Amino acid sequence: MSEASPSSAAVSVAPVRFSPQRVWTLAYATMTQLMRMKILPFLLLFCVLVAAMGFGFSVINPEQQLSQFKTMSLGVLQIFSIVFGIVSTALLLPKDLEDRTLYTILSKPVPRFDYVLGKLLGVLMLIASGLVIIDAVLSLILWVQQSMLFDAAVAQLHTEKQDTPEVVAQMREIVARQGLTWNLHWAVWAIFLKAAVVTTVALLLSCIASSTLFTIVITFCITIIGHGHAMIREFVLQPNLSGTSLRIVSFLLAAICPDLAQFDVVDSVANGEIVPWGAVYEMTGIAALYLTVYLFVTHVVFVEKEL
Amino acid sequence: MKRKLQAAAVLLVFGVLKLPLEQRVTHDLRTMRLVDEPLHLGVKGNMGQIGLAAAFGGLRGLIATIFQLRAHVEFTRVNWAQVDKYYGFVTQLQPRNARYWEEASWHMAYNAASYYLYNQELKPGLRGQLFHDYVKRGSDILNEGLQLLPDNPRLWQKLGDLHWNRSKDFKAAGDAYWNSFQHGGLNFTERFAAYAYAQSNDPASWTKGYAILKKLYNEKKATPGLIEFLKMLEQNLHIPADQRISDAAPVRKTPDPQAGPQR
Repeated sequence: MSEASPSSAAVSVAPVRFSPQRVWTLAYATMTQLMRMKILPFLLLFCVLVAAMGFGFSVINPEQQLSQFKTMSLGVLQIFSIVFGIVSTALLLPKDLEDRTLYTILSKPVPRFDYVLGKLLGVLMLIASGLVIIDAVLSLILWVQQSMLFDAAVAQLHTEKQDTPEVVAQMREIVARQGLTWNLHWAVWAIFLKAAVVTTVALLLSCIASSTLFTIVITFCITIIGHGHAMIREFVLQPNLSGTSLRIVSFLLAAICPDLAQFDVVDSVANGEIVPWGAVYEMTGIAALYLTVYLFVTHVVFVEKEL
Repeated sequence: MKRKLQAAAVLLVFGVLKLPLEQRVTHDLRTMRLVDEPLHLGVKGNMGQIGLAAAFGGLRGLIATIFQLRAHVEFTRVNWAQVDKYYGFVTQLQPRNARYWEEASWHMAYNAASYYLYNQELKPGLRGQLFHDYVKRGSDILNEGLQLLPDNPRLWQKLGDLHWNRSKDFKAAGDAYWNSFQHGGLNFTERFAAYAYAQSNDPASWTKGYAILKKLYNEKKATPGLIEFLKMLEQNLHIPADQRISDAAPVRKTPDPQAGPQR
């Protein structure tokens, strides 16, 4: 009688293990679902906008034009990735509930963690694909513009009889520093990391809240607070300041919100600063930490959520 | 409910643990000059809602560019007060960008100052006063930028240009060019420092200028301008005849050549 009877085997269900294959399938399905939301025309519009911006600024000098182009396009890219991350994530769970897809998936042997992770990866994959495409367009335009501006500047110097080797070399150095470098790609990477953290926060809130609007509004609030996190943190860590209640509120904000200003290297890149490997490691590491913890908390909330 | 409490507890514990880590990463990134310091509250108050969005939204560069474009529009309308105001916002939003300090100063010390100097509708005395005020404003902007970026050779060079071309304070121009050269500026800034010292009214500056020019001359880096100023300084400093250079003074091709920077 050591073997279990058929009836008892049917009752004790074996735990379903985590499966990367399953997560990938869910992520791919999520990506396809989001693609159907007409994201591609938006991306195309963005590329056209970037191209127009690249050649549309008034020129006082080449350095100014290149810097303005980078600042504007990277800034818009940042807004695009964050807005897309928040809105699409906030819509996913309610949409799956509304379409009953969620019940179809979870009635199968799919752990809830796989479902949550698949959804998150799907959104992140789409953001990453969009950023890669735009980064390629941005790089191409910057490279073309850089060459054109350098030639124009040298021609201008020649007309003014100021084209000494020293001045031309300085102009080349200025244009090269403001033009296409690896730093531009690191800035795009930092934008992706920030969007990934914000998206994970949106997913966590989406699991707690029942309203899409609530998720979107609160995630935007956390995003804004996250950019002022350094100020709040420094206030909390100051030993001799203000009353207890204010300090407790500040502490809670600092503890709950991620510090998003850590990924704000875009301005420095637009100014021609070099992004060292150390900075890339630190940004990637802290983003990975946020993602892991927020995803774990999401799992804790979602695993027993009544659907 | 139990799960939600567990989640809140995890968030709180993580929040406490992450604070020192975030503090360290922010410090590292600030040391690498990749992340900006928080804005001063006064600036945020001045700029209202958009400033707050910029301060907290991580879009300081984008907002600065928009203000710069607005300043450019005001520049085409020759509204100098507005240009100054917008560039004030731009430099506060992007204080580590030398280019913005340079442009703000250029608008004030060159464009605005010249506009008032040649404005026929104003009384001559007032024109001179406004010219002086705007040149001073341009110089103040550069000095403010240099307080934040003391190692920037380009800002020092622009300050030298400004003192040479606009305020005609050759001692200050010499000091600025010399600082530019000391902080890695282009080679000509060393020469220009000496030229500026040579034109000042200060004998101590002549000595500095002479030392620089003589060194360059001995290094076989003499140009016609260098020889002209060197001969001038030899005369002013009463250098003994046997220590003077043997070159003849260069012949000027134009009635009044302006050695030094052209804008």
